[in-house]
Amino acid sequence: MNNLCTDIGYNSLFKHDEELCGDKVAVLNNEDSSLVVLADGMGSGVKANILSTLTSKIISTMLSQGMKLEDCVETVAATLPVCSVRKAAYSTFTIIRISDGENAEFFQYDNPDIIMLRNGENLDYPKELLEIGGKNIYRTKIKVCEGDIIIAMSDGVPHAGIGMSMNFGWSRENIIEFMTGFAHVGFTAKTLTTILLDECYGLYGGEPGDDATVCTIKIRSRVPMNLVIGPPSNRDDCSKMMSLFFSKQGKHIVCGGTTSSIAADYLGKKVVTSLDFPDPDIPPISHIDGVDLVTEGVITFSKVLKYAEDYLADNESYKNWITKKDGASLISQLLFEEATDINFFVGRAVNPAHQNPNLPINFNIKMRLVDNLSECLKNMGKRIKVIYF
Amino acid sequence: MKITICIGSSCHLKGSRQVVEKLQELVKKNNLTDKIDLAAAFCMGNCQNGVCVTMNEKMYSLSPETTEDFFNNDVLPSLVAPF
Repeated sequence: MNNLCTDIGYNSLFKHDEELCGDKVAVLNNEDSSLVVLADGMGSGVKANILSTLTSKIISTMLSQGMKLEDCVETVAATLPVCSVRKAAYSTFTIIRISDGENAEFFQYDNPDIIMLRNGENLDYPKELLEIGGKNIYRTKIKVCEGDIIIAMSDGVPHAGIGMSMNFGWSRENIIEFMTGFAHVGFTAKTLTTILLDECYGLYGGEPGDDATVCTIKIRSRVPMNLVIGPPSNRDDCSKMMSLFFSKQGKHIVCGGTTSSIAADYLGKKVVTSLDFPDPDIPPISHIDGVDLVTEGVITFSKVLKYAEDYLADNESYKNWITKKDGASLISQLLFEEATDINFFVGRAVNPAHQNPNLPINFNIKMRLVDNLSECLKNMGKRIKVIYF
Repeated sequence: MKITICIGSSCHLKGSRQVVEKLQELVKKNNLTDKIDLAAAFCMGNCQNGVCVTMNEKMYSLSPETTEDFFNNDVLPSLVAPF
């Protein structure tokens, strides 16, 4: 086991006028392996949704329990309901399994071929043909390296733009060329997924002719990060809290006015404030020697939570935080993009100034912000620890 | 002379950004950029009366609406008669 882990992000465009998506992605993260199944059900709407949900669920559950792929495929074939129009039960699938942070295995059945980028360039991986249950399935076994980007997709992606902006859609080569442009930037898997789907949406002229799904996996090293917010409920615990906080490996973020004074005192440094408002809604950030980021507390944190919730949903607001320099955007960049393991140090002191009914920031709200944000970060696949003082 | 404006949570919600912008504008308009130093600070411990502003170690309680009066009645006179 090495220091590598997987960053997995996926999303779908729904076929125009459909309420359900016919593609389904299932992700199973274990201690030492990640399993992704992307299934595309035949047709669209409810029927396709049922086919793809069954396929991805059956395969991911069976494989994660150590069953052989042959058995999974047979089970899927025997279980899927038969379409009354086409007299067939059919769902294509792509399976990606990454174990111990280094061994990748792909099984591909009739979906567009997985794109794999290494050092920002297309990597042609070997494929071996297996015949399982009368189906032609391609298997790949390959070692992964840090920075590798693996992109699985449904056929709605290369078909984008057919008969509209392009005669035959954009080819695999076009997609590779498009994505290599973003490979070096350091975007997360989710953001890379959003970028590719946004392009498809544009090519479809805003009315996708088919469900389009992208699942991106990025191989990256684990990065620890620490964030402290709020003074401890017992004043005497200040130096205990700070010594634990600063002894942790990784970057350190300090949130809150009083909290930053405590941190500065502990380090024997000064808080250097600024009057710059890159975002008019977010109070300016400050600087303390030895701390990577110093921000205001509750208002900044609420904004980070908004960004986190959006990131997990349609990720529309990534353009807002990804390059901006206000406190909330900077925290989002560090927590969503850079960190994989986050320690929260939460002080439970009640700020008397915030207990004013005219202000929307009382103690309960602060605690709920921390709870909700750690929940969101867990859903992003990060390991979270919360320590209260 | 230094004027310090609180940018903590509470004062932020009460409009410290508008106070900062107003003061920056007034200082510029009166050509006082080399005489007046505007700075930010976190909580001054008087949140109930925000927006908190300190000048010559005295604490003032401002709002975006009263900032211009503060500038005319308190800031300008203390520049003429330094102590």
